[in-house]
Amino acid sequence: MTATEPVRSGDTYDAIETWSPAQLADWQLERVRHVVAGAAGNGFYAGHWREADVDPRRLQSWEDFRRLPLTSKQTLVAAGESWTARGGNVAFSTRGTSGEPLVVWLDAAESETFIVPTMRGYWWAGFRPGQTALMQSPAWHRLAAMEGHAVLRLGGNAAYYWGSGGPQYAGYFMDALERVRPQFVTTTAPFLVSLLRRFEDDVIDARAMFDSVRSIVAVGLPLTGQLRAHLSDRLGSEVFERSGTQEGAAADECAMHTAPHIHADVCHLEVLAPDGSPAPAGARGRLVVTKLHDTGDPVIRYDTGDIAERFDEPCGCGRTLPRLKIYGRPESSVNIAERRITAYDVRTCVDADPELVGRQVLLVRDGNDGDVLNVAIEGTEHNAAAIERRIHDQLGVERVSFTWLGRARMAWGFRQVVDKSEVQER
Amino acid sequence: MSVAATRITFASPDGELNFADGDLDRWAEHLVWCYSLIGVAEGSTIAVQDFGTSPLAYLGSKLLMPTLTAGVAERLDARIICLDASPDRIVLTPEVVRQVTPDVLIVRADILALLLDGSSRAGVDLTAVPGLSLVVVLGGESPPLPAGDFRRLLHCESSLLMAPQCTLCGCFHLREGVYELRGGTIHNLVHADAVPCAPRDLRPIDETCPLAPGDTLFELGRPEGGTR
Ligand SMILES: [Zn+2]
Repeated sequence: MTATEPVRSGDTYDAIETWSPAQLADWQLERVRHVVAGAAGNGFYAGHWREADVDPRRLQSWEDFRRLPLTSKQTLVAAGESWTARGGNVAFSTRGTSGEPLVVWLDAAESETFIVPTMRGYWWAGFRPGQTALMQSPAWHRLAAMEGHAVLRLGGNAAYYWGSGGPQYAGYFMDALERVRPQFVTTTAPFLVSLLRRFEDDVIDARAMFDSVRSIVAVGLPLTGQLRAHLSDRLGSEVFERSGTQEGAAADECAMHTAPHIHADVCHLEVLAPDGSPAPAGARGRLVVTKLHDTGDPVIRYDTGDIAERFDEPCGCGRTLPRLKIYGRPESSVNIAERRITAYDVRTCVDADPELVGRQVLLVRDGNDGDVLNVAIEGTEHNAAAIERRIHDQLGVERVSFTWLGRARMAWGFRQVVDKSEVQER
Repeated sequence: MSVAATRITFASPDGELNFADGDLDRWAEHLVWCYSLIGVAEGSTIAVQDFGTSPLAYLGSKLLMPTLTAGVAERLDARIICLDASPDRIVLTPEVVRQVTPDVLIVRADILALLLDGSSRAGVDLTAVPGLSLVVVLGGESPPLPAGDFRRLLHCESSLLMAPQCTLCGCFHLREGVYELRGGTIHNLVHADAVPCAPRDLRPIDETCPLAPGDTLFELGRPEGGTR
């Protein structure tokens, strides 16, 4: 049986979902050997591996694979055309939140490869033939480009609201929601939060607005459990987290909502400890991506800079695909007393209070206070002592300072760390 | 008019456009025709700084849209790079231009000033990058353009109106059989959902262009101000 042969019994989309860990590891190792052999002819990788004195032709085991040196955005940007063949027709740029954007090219073969996991993820989230999905534009992200294809191949219809992901487009989204009456919505988590605020400001019944919608797929930011539950409750629709990167990582949540399952037919995802060894399941580390098909630009042991965690224990849904949560990037985290604190971690402590869930939370970078966590929270002060206690207990941070941003509403965006001067200016 | 079932819907600020199988290919063919009049060559690398919900973006390639069998990239053997038109993405453009060296940069008129200012602050004068042509996408109510050597494309979203400014005659072309001008209002003859539009300061030109003799020609802007 091939990995992507559709089964569609019950809630399962295809065969790979229930492969044993050993079966998956063997299959992925074959794919890895194939893509590494293919990339040996790529000018960048050939040089990169030669410099590190590893011979890709001798790759027999996962240990051999892990001897391949990592690549990074900086090295790929610098490698330019020696890395990217630009064989593809369409390019997407990463957001460049950490300096230079990386441009990745997509070709038809790679598009086909990645449409399959998109169909799988949509299936898990409840998309079924005959339904309509209302989505963000196909051109904003490489993974978004696959979504329309997935929807039509699953026998549904695709609809797009006008504009982009910023809160200023909420009105266009609402207009499209009323016109199209979709059963399924895909958009970013920050956009969903902006919508809730808009509903509050304009005294709109959120559940009535979403009454045709059964499932919402949220991308772009990791959801805290509380935020997911809050969005599901307020919108009356089950919210699923979808995560991935322009460089090839792809994962979707099942109905257990424990953490997204990795689409292991297209990507091999490693989480590495600071010394470069595999981080044990349940421990955080750096997310490293390898694409498993020799289509598009080769991505082999690419260090995304993301902070992630793998969960290897069986999921209640019965799928054996490993799960992975991406918590954020270095630029969405701060170091406090040599401990890396992500905005997600702090949101977890803030969202625990039902009065606060969904409020914008920013980490404030202040060069002077190496051991003080500066947190800016939208709205008026509420239970600061309790938040501080949770930050202390859960994150091990001794000193916290709060800035309450009052009624000044901010666009909930992808940036989660700001400089002190930016908060003072508001 | 489409008789087949709608499979794809794009909502726009003042309406919606529904597409059945085959419809997107018709409009991709038209967009390629527009590009040919503007002077976009085969094999070009085209950067599109517009919202992804604009046909200038989503008709870029079959990889972006289901049912589209050949988009601009496939028809022109071109490469498309999608750049969103929101302010946080505009700041990335100078670096993307440096990395990708596009031949053409297509930009919405309402963000042009922001893009040029931001780029020049980043040390890149987009109006003077060797080999790069700027195509400004005018809406029905576009702001005056900054000074510069721009090619122009009139695009009214909910009308599915795409009318290029011809490099030969200098006028905008309303393609024969696709649009019709009646008393200052442009009607889409092909797409049933498209609403008529009346671009500001449209002046019909009673001439013909040898490139497309059946087309209706017009200019935009007041005569004394030139085509702005
Ligand atoms: Zn599961």
